[in-house]
Amino acid sequence: MSEIKAKLKDFICSTLGVEEDVLEYDTELFGDGPIGLDSVDSLEIISFVDGEYGVEMTGVGKEHFVNIDAIAQYIDENK
Amino acid sequence: MNKENTRCVITGLGMISAVGNNVSECWNSVVNSVSGIDHTKTVDTENCYSDYAAEVRCGDLGSEGGYKDRAVRLCLKAVGEAMSDSSLSDFGGDPRVSVIMGSCVGGVVSVEKYYTEEKRREYIPQMPISAIASQAAAFCGAGGTVTNVANACAAGTMSVAYAADLIRAGKADIVVAGGADSFASVPFAGFTSLHALDANPCSPFNHLSGITLGEGAGALIVESYEHAVARGAKIYCEMLGSGISSDAHHITAPRPDGEGQMNAIRWAIENSGITESDIGYVNAHGTGTAKNDEAEFLSLHTIFDGKNDDLSVSSTKAMTGHCLGAAGAVEAVLAVKALTENTVPPTLGFDDHDLEVLSERAGKLDFCPNKPRSKELNTVMSNSFAFGGNNASIVFSKNEGKVQLPEKRPAIGITGMGIVTPAGNGRESYKASVSGAAPAEGSLFSTVGKTEYDELGLKMSFYRKLDRFSQLQAVSGMYALADGGYPITDENATDIGIIVGTADGSISPVCDFEMLIAEKGNANGSAFKFPNTVYNAAGGYLSICSGIKGYNVTATNGAQSGLFSVAYAADVIRAGKEKAMLATGTDENNEIMQELYSQLGLLSESYVKPYSGSDRLTLSDGSVSLLLENADTAAARGAKCIAFVKGCGSANAGVEFGTVTGSDKAADTAIAAALEDAGLTPSDIGAVIGFANGHKAVDSIEKTVLGRVFGDKLAELPVISVKETLGEARAASAALGAAHAALMLAGEIGESSCVYYKEDTVRGSVSSQGLDNILAVSYGSGGSYCAVVIGRQEA
Repeated sequence: MSEIKAKLKDFICSTLGVEEDVLEYDTELFGDGPIGLDSVDSLEIISFVDGEYGVEMTGVGKEHFVNIDAIAQYIDENK
Repeated sequence: MNKENTRCVITGLGMISAVGNNVSECWNSVVNSVSGIDHTKTVDTENCYSDYAAEVRCGDLGSEGGYKDRAVRLCLKAVGEAMSDSSLSDFGGDPRVSVIMGSCVGGVVSVEKYYTEEKRREYIPQMPISAIASQAAAFCGAGGTVTNVANACAAGTMSVAYAADLIRAGKADIVVAGGADSFASVPFAGFTSLHALDANPCSPFNHLSGITLGEGAGALIVESYEHAVARGAKIYCEMLGSGISSDAHHITAPRPDGEGQMNAIRWAIENSGITESDIGYVNAHGTGTAKNDEAEFLSLHTIFDGKNDDLSVSSTKAMTGHCLGAAGAVEAVLAVKALTENTVPPTLGFDDHDLEVLSERAGKLDFCPNKPRSKELNTVMSNSFAFGGNNASIVFSKNEGKVQLPEKRPAIGITGMGIVTPAGNGRESYKASVSGAAPAEGSLFSTVGKTEYDELGLKMSFYRKLDRFSQLQAVSGMYALADGGYPITDENATDIGIIVGTADGSISPVCDFEMLIAEKGNANGSAFKFPNTVYNAAGGYLSICSGIKGYNVTATNGAQSGLFSVAYAADVIRAGKEKAMLATGTDENNEIMQELYSQLGLLSESYVKPYSGSDRLTLSDGSVSLLLENADTAAARGAKCIAFVKGCGSANAGVEFGTVTGSDKAADTAIAAALEDAGLTPSDIGAVIGFANGHKAVDSIEKTVLGRVFGDKLAELPVISVKETLGEARAASAALGAAHAALMLAGEIGESSCVYYKEDTVRGSVSSQGLDNILAVSYGSGGSYCAVVIGRQEA
């Protein structure tokens, strides 16, 4: 799990322009918070997760995208 | 401004799309409900969830004049038809004839060829959107204002709107206006990555599952009524008013509340001097995506319900596909045909169940499902809404309308500036840099980062999305607003607009995206990167971070675009459309730009100073934004004018795009027009900000032109270059010239280095004391020039 989380964080920082020092595994990713990911970013995350772990997240509920912890958990349970 | 100028008419039409190679074929398809959408035959769709497109099926787009990008070929085909339809032939360089073309993805076919076939030099000048209008102007011999509007899917509509405004401003008699875009891998992979393509043929106002990309070009001859009557031209209809707005919301998604769309529609109605009930048909944007169409349903209901119970609306994109920057142009042509043929084009794609759903959504609006409808039409509207949150609405009519122009021509003050150069950021930083020494490097870069974002209150959740071109623009634009003490509020958000000027725009993000899909396939584009491939992303982001909701156009036609933005913005204020405008010049330098300029043989390894007779230049970058205001409203809010924009002129000489030699006479024309606009003569000019960059072809034009304009006086006339130590930053340099002039006139730059064109070129310096008027001049590839007179006092 920790490896998945580290990879997700690395992806979000390198591809989606998020600064590393404000992103923890439990930081809220979407909405009006400091990270502010939106639907376009979610497409990139879905594409990354599919390519890296073979886990399809298209149409998956918002609760599984809340933070890195939630995405990692979904990957872990579905890979 | 004479009254007759307020009347503009359409005297010629040209069009090519998936449903026909000319207007007649296209219209015949439309009235027979023929769709041009089919499985693509030109783009690789391996692993892609959709393979539909509406491709042009014209076997011969012409081959004259050597290699030209597909978008240019499409454009020339439509322009040729419109010219012929209007009984016009080569204009012979007439400065009263303009060309304004819209495009979204420009020369993407050339970009694709460059990265997937062979890195041929001839592809490079065809890559930028700049290449389209310039080559169309060369094709028809237009010698007046020539530019492209690069506002993605609203570009074509904005071009037609701007065409009428140019005529009403007294700057043209005829404008060849329209737009062109090609179907290619970059837009296909981009919209695939956004999951914005419909897996089936698009179904606007119906299934709302996405768009189908199209391609093509539309061209309209927009002409002053007086001119059209004098030459006995066939008149299709009147071109009434327009509305252009920005959402200040999101880079790809429209505002769900439709506010920006409604502003554009309402302003178009207001500007035309008509009411909602006058409109019989709206050619809607209707892309087929849920976000667009739902916002558009809301906008149309909000504006027309209760005020017009006999309104027909359709989206012709179910037939032509979404032609991006050409969409507004082909739809303007179809709107004019609808008007003159008294026929509402259909919206295709409804089955019986769909019709039931539609009747609930449509209310009293008639979406003309599946079949065209005969209807007596007097006035029609065409709407386009784009990435970047840009909205445009135009009105055509059989009636004269009541387009009003302000009684008084306002003075235009410069009340703020934001400067980003390789020497540092901000007005004070620039002033401190002007006496600096030239660097050694042959390629220079500006730097913006966290320091600037924090200073300007830009949050990471916003700036993380910006590509570097947009970063430079956002920082200089926000600096200009701060410098001018112009906070954007709910009350003034629609009183201010933006003109972004750029030479190369988003070429780097386009090339970067092409390299990505060339390696990984069209199914693996980046949804994060794709929105930044549109040239108006920078202006869109600036609207989002500043809150500006007014006029928003990205104008691109070579380096002069950075000064042209000032001329364009001044016209917008003079027309009474906005009280204030940000006029900018922005271009970026990076590894991709270095490679392209190197392939063109222009990149230098060491610093090239202006007037050095080199065959290379120092490629640089940056962004300069000027806050222009109606001087009366600036005074009313207690703002101090740094200087005044007194007169502007632009002209074009159609030489090969990518070159300038032989185009010098157009610079004379631009300068003469600017002086006339300012009510001045050459003897009133105390100094010139020139455009020399060290490349002998460019430098020699500057010397030749100034010699002709100023005669014997030239030997004593200080000619200043802002490229002495900052390199050729293209549009950023052009805008910096205007900023530099303003700072000298305000006494904030006390002394400037300059040259005097005596028998030899002599270096010297000039004091700002005693200078009242400075002429800034800039050049663009393909032979476009802009001149602006900046004065210490109001005109």
